[in-house]
Amino acid sequence: MSTPSPDVYEQGKGMDAHNAVMRDIRARNDSTYDPREPTRVWLDEDNTPDGVYQSLTIILNTGGCRWARAGGCTMCGYVAESVEGGSVAHEDLMAQIQHCLDHEAENADEPSGLIKIYTSGSFLDEREVPAETRRAIAETFADRDRIVVESLPDFVDRETVGDFVDAGLETDVAVGLETATDRVRHDCVNKYFDFADFEDACEAARDAGAGVKAYLLMKPPFLSESEAVEDMKRSVRRCAAVDGCHTVSMNPCNVQRYTMVEELYHDGGYRPPWLWSVAEVLESTAEEDVIVVSDPVGHGSDRGPHNCGECDDRVQRAIKDFDLRQDPSVFEQVSCECEATWDAVLTRERSYSLPLAR
Amino acid sequence: MTDYFEVHERDSAARLGELRLAESVTTPALIDDVDADTPGACHRVLDDAGSYWAAERDDPAGDESRITVLPHRGFPAGTPEEVEGAFAVDYPDVDFPSAAVVSPDAATDHSCDVSVLAGGPGYVGHASAFVDAVTAVKEATPADTALYLPGVATPRNVATLVYAGVDLVDPHRAVVRGTEGRYLTTDEAYFLEDLDELPCACPACQTPREAFDRTDCVEHNVNALAAELRRVRRRVRDGRLRDYVEGQARQDNWLTATFRRLDQQYGYLEARTPLIRRADLSAASEDSLRRVEIQRFAERVTERYVPRFDDRPLVLVPCSARKPYSDSQSHKQYHDAIKWRAHVVSMTSPIGVVPQELELTYPAQHYDSVVTGRWTANEIEFVSRVLERYLEAADYPEIIAHVSGEGYRDICERIADSLGREFTYTVTDHPTTADSLGNLAAELEGRDRYPKREREHNTIRAVADYQFGAGAGDELFDDLATAGRYPQLRAEDGEGTQLATLAQQYGVLSLTTAGARRWVESDVPTKAVDIEPFVPHGSVLAPGITDASDDIRVGDDVVVRGDAAFGVGRAEMSGPEMQSSTRGIAVQMRHVDER
Repeated sequence: MSTPSPDVYEQGKGMDAHNAVMRDIRARNDSTYDPREPTRVWLDEDNTPDGVYQSLTIILNTGGCRWARAGGCTMCGYVAESVEGGSVAHEDLMAQIQHCLDHEAENADEPSGLIKIYTSGSFLDEREVPAETRRAIAETFADRDRIVVESLPDFVDRETVGDFVDAGLETDVAVGLETATDRVRHDCVNKYFDFADFEDACEAARDAGAGVKAYLLMKPPFLSESEAVEDMKRSVRRCAAVDGCHTVSMNPCNVQRYTMVEELYHDGGYRPPWLWSVAEVLESTAEEDVIVVSDPVGHGSDRGPHNCGECDDRVQRAIKDFDLRQDPSVFEQVSCECEATWDAVLTRERSYSLPLAR
Repeated sequence: MTDYFEVHERDSAARLGELRLAESVTTPALIDDVDADTPGACHRVLDDAGSYWAAERDDPAGDESRITVLPHRGFPAGTPEEVEGAFAVDYPDVDFPSAAVVSPDAATDHSCDVSVLAGGPGYVGHASAFVDAVTAVKEATPADTALYLPGVATPRNVATLVYAGVDLVDPHRAVVRGTEGRYLTTDEAYFLEDLDELPCACPACQTPREAFDRTDCVEHNVNALAAELRRVRRRVRDGRLRDYVEGQARQDNWLTATFRRLDQQYGYLEARTPLIRRADLSAASEDSLRRVEIQRFAERVTERYVPRFDDRPLVLVPCSARKPYSDSQSHKQYHDAIKWRAHVVSMTSPIGVVPQELELTYPAQHYDSVVTGRWTANEIEFVSRVLERYLEAADYPEIIAHVSGEGYRDICERIADSLGREFTYTVTDHPTTADSLGNLAAELEGRDRYPKREREHNTIRAVADYQFGAGAGDELFDDLATAGRYPQLRAEDGEGTQLATLAQQYGVLSLTTAGARRWVESDVPTKAVDIEPFVPHGSVLAPGITDASDDIRVGDDVVVRGDAAFGVGRAEMSGPEMQSSTRGIAVQMRHVDER
């Protein structure tokens, strides 16, 4: 795992507190899910190093993230969508895959060139997805062009990634880095690994013939709007500088159920980022030698990234447009009076005055 | 330990203070970042050294021109207590003006000049959370630490914020609301587009309406906030913020809820409310009944005061608008009928009952209520309860109720009933008609008059009970002689040594050192301030104090004692404030003996 950082004592203390709180919060959730159905599946379009592809995105229900069972990340509610008992058998996981193929067959004219598999945990962790299942899934999608599988850095190696590369797929590992700033990742997100681990994973992926797509989280709890924006700009640039990391997906935090973020939100202590902040980061890092995309979930709602309510859809469209074309001029096309409010918030909001505007 | 903040005046939890920076700032103040471009009259004195959530921080340099917010971790509203505990920041000891960021659950003394209460925006609109947060932080930090509440103040709420104990606010919310097209006044947050004329005359509002945009709106909002703070400072100086807040807070329900919730935190407000004030007290709403001054008077009259005249008939009379009552036309007429043959106690909303000996004592001489002749159920309930408790502790041979109409008479009948006592009613239509006054005089026919000496002695002793505690009247003034003419009375012992004077303006006693020595030697708990071995002349400053009684309130007479001096003076701080403060005038000395 990670090497101790200078603030390891404080980090340990903070991690214990975060985990204890998150366990309590998650325990309030008593819903369970059918292990033979995926958490979610949808079709979309995605920008890749080889151009724009039709994509089939699968959120596989694997019993969820092992880290989340210890408590886990302060903003992540996906564990709440996991199955009871904790692990899902090979047959059930394959039934979920079949469910997704059926969905694709019903809703798309042709098979998707890009398959994306997330587990809200680590697809490459064999305690979550057995090696047998991993190989069977690689086999299932061997006729496609590209595949993305989600994993924490710990599980990225020649053997796990190799299954997909050997099947002839252009393979990317999606790593939930959240931020390149270790302090923010530890203290605000409560994710335990370091940026150095991410760099090692990128190297391991490259050695196995794969690439890495870094997932960043804009505005975890406890950061002001301007700190969140600066954290993302710095993170995109640091990711761009890592060999093997060719794409960054920079996503604004939203308020998910049974999370610490939801506790803060409920008491008036958290506001998801402004869509202007997302646009600002995309625009200012457009020159970087990396694809940067963003997929704001729940845009325009109180629980999702939002502006004033008037311009949310327009700014969201510009962001999606940027995702496909990587052209920062799309943001010149949108403006709204609420930019002045956002400006004032950037200048004035501090971690002790969160949030300064709704 | 603060070198850079000092409280000069107190009006309940509100304070008038001073940030002693290179350029002094009077608080409550509107402060902003040193490099802020906020329009209007903000003090640009705040320098944020940054959040540990985002990055590691170097120790800031700081200087006397600014308040440096030491590197911190802010905890927004809703942060679980475990997380606050685990991420608590150790603040360094610095020798420049500094602020520490605190949260209600984890607030403690960080030896800073300013406490920054994190999470404020989460409390807007939530009275109980706000009151809990502010009172928790105030109780956990030294009294001479300024409280900064970031991101909350508006023209409408700032009076209530200051009333709760906030010393520093910023223009951030007013600015943000302006950018949103909200035009803020002390009564509303108007949609700018709904205003066909601007209800303000500040410089920004000189712009013609059609040209007035959101940038102007920002400027107006900050102007309106700054102006309201000027008003609030004036009110605190005058000791009249509560009167203003009772009306102003009506403009937003959560503000009304906030000051009512504060009234429920009686201990918090009581410790901070002065015993006496120069200013009048306006009792214009039901909420006035809950004021500390009112509750305290009722409590002391029923628990400390001894009815020394209860060997004679009691005459209950209605209060008068003019104060003291004995100066009023109506009370002069009652007096002409009574002629010192009975004990006179005035019934009044909102004070309850005022025995004649305490008619000068704050707030009996200082309140002014709205009289319409119609009493509310709460007024009747309050005055009934006070009267009942008063009579339970007394032993009058006869009770004459010289009162009329709704309210007074209802209360008397209710209490006659509950105590099983017979009241004689002497008013036929109105208390000052010849018939009524004749009835009153007739009822007292044949009773003897008590002498002036008895009346003066009882006055001194009653005020002593009220002021120093139960039994003080007898313990401190057992061999009593009075001099001077009421209301300018002096208390002396049998040998002519002066012990105290009655301060006409407040109706309390000002002790001499001889009087103070009697207090110390008596069984009545002494309100004492222990000082270092020096001889204080003029005033005692907080750093010279080694200990102070918890129950000292602003305006109390206190004994000041140390190895070098024994004296008496008037408290300018509460006892707890003396204990925790490192700056400021604690006692104004009146008399001191070297020893």
